[in-house]
Amino acid sequence: MATFAQTGNRVRPAQAGWSLAQAFRARPGLWSLLSFALLCGVWEIAGLWPISYAFPTFSETLLAFWEMVFDGSMLQAYFITLQPLVLGVLVSALLGVALGIVMGLSEKAEWLLAPVFIVLQAAPMAALVPLVTFIYGIGLTAKTLAVIMLALPVIVLNSYKAVRHVSPSLVAMCRSFQGTRMQRIFKIVIPDASPVIFAGLRLGVAAGFIGVMLAELLITPTGVGDLITYHRSIANYAHMYAAVASIIALSMLTLVGLQRFETRFLRPEKRGA
Amino acid sequence: MQSMLKAARSAAGAALFGATLFLGSTALAQAEMRVAFGDIPSVETLHLLIAFERAKEAGLELEVSYLKSEDIAAQAVVSGQADVGVGGPYALIQKVKAPVRMFMQLSTLQMYPVVNGESYKTWKDLDGEEVAVHSRGSGTEALMKLAAQQNGIAFSGISYVPGSEVRAGALLQGNVKASIVDASGKRLLEKQAPGKFVFLPVDNITATDEALFANTEYLEANKEDVAKLVEAIVSTWREVQANPKIVGELRTKYNLLPDATPDMVAEIEPYFAEAAAAGLPLNGGGEEAAKDDFAFYTVSGALQGEATELKTEDFWDFTPLKAALAKLGQS
Repeated sequence: MATFAQTGNRVRPAQAGWSLAQAFRARPGLWSLLSFALLCGVWEIAGLWPISYAFPTFSETLLAFWEMVFDGSMLQAYFITLQPLVLGVLVSALLGVALGIVMGLSEKAEWLLAPVFIVLQAAPMAALVPLVTFIYGIGLTAKTLAVIMLALPVIVLNSYKAVRHVSPSLVAMCRSFQGTRMQRIFKIVIPDASPVIFAGLRLGVAAGFIGVMLAELLITPTGVGDLITYHRSIANYAHMYAAVASIIALSMLTLVGLQRFETRFLRPEKRGA
Repeated sequence: MQSMLKAARSAAGAALFGATLFLGSTALAQAEMRVAFGDIPSVETLHLLIAFERAKEAGLELEVSYLKSEDIAAQAVVSGQADVGVGGPYALIQKVKAPVRMFMQLSTLQMYPVVNGESYKTWKDLDGEEVAVHSRGSGTEALMKLAAQQNGIAFSGISYVPGSEVRAGALLQGNVKASIVDASGKRLLEKQAPGKFVFLPVDNITATDEALFANTEYLEANKEDVAKLVEAIVSTWREVQANPKIVGELRTKYNLLPDATPDMVAEIEPYFAEAAAAGLPLNGGGEEAAKDDFAFYTVSGALQGEATELKTEDFWDFTPLKAALAKLGQS
């Protein structure tokens, strides 16, 4: 990219649209904006076509989104949806990282726990979520549990693999400096494993979003799930798509934020890549 | 490279063959009526399954698919993947102007507001209290709101608990004190805790629970098929109304719900006895029913605008029903 920019600067072709091309070279982020604009444009056209009576245009959806923001229903929905999501992700993070580290350090724990989480990760959770209601009813507990069911296995397995793949030479160095087992764990293993553990947390958050939506669509419609079901049932399709798009946008922003954080603080070698 | 080309060619050939097969099968299928049903076959819909069998006897080729919800059945009809749907697509017709019309009422909403007798006795007691209904914008919510209006009370809040059997369970456990259940929920409550629950009266609230609907084009092009179906349903409904026990006999005759458990079989007679006592729609709804629906569904939020300003012809096509009633007579 950098070399292209240099050649561009040196040659300076005098054709039309040159400044635009230069802008794109200087700011690669513009490509992302363009991709987003293209998507919205295609959506708008598909809605005008229309591909289905139930498919609104992008502009209708955007309008519906602002309507729900201003009448407060969106805010209230997120207030309800974020409760099981945040709670579930926090529990999964604390429990998952701890379990993963223990599994990584002790072979007995690995033999005991790894199969469970591998099975859980492979299981089609959408089919299991309704079963939660048989035991925990339909309240916040059931929904939090649905989030944990999706987020925990990813976090556990990543933490476990992170610990397993700690550089052996660092561990050997700790030993030759006569470090204790505790020093080895807290000064070598966990710091070295932290980037991968954090990546696991990021994936866990993504899974948590899936979990909370499954719970709100399959257990009882509350929060954003309620916006989706309610507007679908009364054929307000623009509002329904706005609710769906908003949760996608929120999950995307959260993940991008976490990724930035990860590159900035945990993986300096990846910065600028 | 050569082998890749060959593979691509054979893949294209296979795709073409598949497409031909697919198109061929849809062309053939066009002759039969594809019914989209937004529910699983159950005791509550046994009389409809019987009517389908009757329509088949009358020479109608019919294929029923059972879908997850009414919404999906409505989408299937709108997109042309099904010809006739079962449900009440008022919102869909009004909001997105889908070219779909209802042509026959199958059932009216039969729901029973119920309270825990230890806490409440009458509608007045529910003033300022919380009630549990099926979901936001559902018929159960509209019914409770209308009943509150009629009795001059206001609820402090409405909570949403989907599934009548779930609400019945919650009432039995004591988690919910006031709710609304369907006929089987009512029987469950009466059986499990006789005398504990009080069923509150509802007056003059009738609304379509389920109706048959189809694309206007389909109704226009397949008059004979639609007539066979409507006649079969009207005559079956009248038979069931006259003798609810016949449902059990006809189930055996047509081998319907072969996997029904003994519990379900035992449900059949009381369910239809109750349905007949409440009155099945023997004349397929019609103008009057549509007007009642407008009043009801404007309250539920499914329809927008003033009930008196809505036009029946925007939602219903009465032609098939009128033809059937001319043949079978009014009841």
